[in-house]
Amino acid sequence: MALRYKDVNNDVRHIYLSGRLDTVGSENIATEFAALAGSEKHGVVVHLSDVTFLSSMGIRALIAAAKAQQAKGGRLVVHVRGSDVVIRTLEATGVDALIPMFDDENEAERAVLA
Amino acid sequence: MSASVTPQRVVLTIPAEAWDARRASVWLESSARAQDVPAEQIVRLDHCLDEVLANVVKHGGPTALASAVQLEFCVVRGQDICAAELLVVDAGMPFDPCARPNGLKPMATCLAEADPGGLGLRMLRSFSDDLSYHRTNDRNHLTIRVRWSEAT
Repeated sequence: MALRYKDVNNDVRHIYLSGRLDTVGSENIATEFAALAGSEKHGVVVHLSDVTFLSSMGIRALIAAAKAQQAKGGRLVVHVRGSDVVIRTLEATGVDALIPMFDDENEAERAVLA
Repeated sequence: MSASVTPQRVVLTIPAEAWDARRASVWLESSARAQDVPAEQIVRLDHCLDEVLANVVKHGGPTALASAVQLEFCVVRGQDICAAELLVVDAGMPFDPCARPNGLKPMATCLAEADPGGLGLRMLRSFSDDLSYHRTNDRNHLTIRVRWSEAT
């Protein structure tokens, strides 16, 4: 499980997750992810295209960060392309109805600035 | 950890600890591949296994953590339909994920209402084709099945 991020400017942050976000993997990155994704007001794009496994613990982290951003007036969206298992997991848990999902990175970035 | 293999059924015993879920996942994948289970079905079972073991560790209580978890895997091949079955036996508090089949909390319609509770159970039901549960000798016995057609 790997986590890296890139700030485009003061308004937009991209967070790239890769590998196995199973229960153990999600717990390993939970603190850092929460700090990066939810501690300050940003437009946050979370990239999940390179995630091979997404557990309910990983989804909890996404929801918590999205709620934290919303409370601060920011917005969090997901960019995922080509990872069927991640898309299926997000749809099965109804998260796709709560957190906007995009398969185009530029659209995702525009969405957090809207 | 110990493992034994028979032509039909593979058994693995692990401590009820979070990190052992990873070893269980590796075991499941290799066992399923050895029996020619399609990759898509392995992924489904793997997600179910992760959620069940996480539940045992987090919510099973002291008896769960003090006892081993036994996993059994087998493949049943019919004429048209095949099924991969994973049995998880743990000593935790009684928990029947099949109970109240329609009793899942409604999905939230907005982020403000989102409650992360119950996501694991929702995933377990979504990724499996069939769940069956019984409690015997103070242990939970949960069988998770995924099915596929050999024609596909």
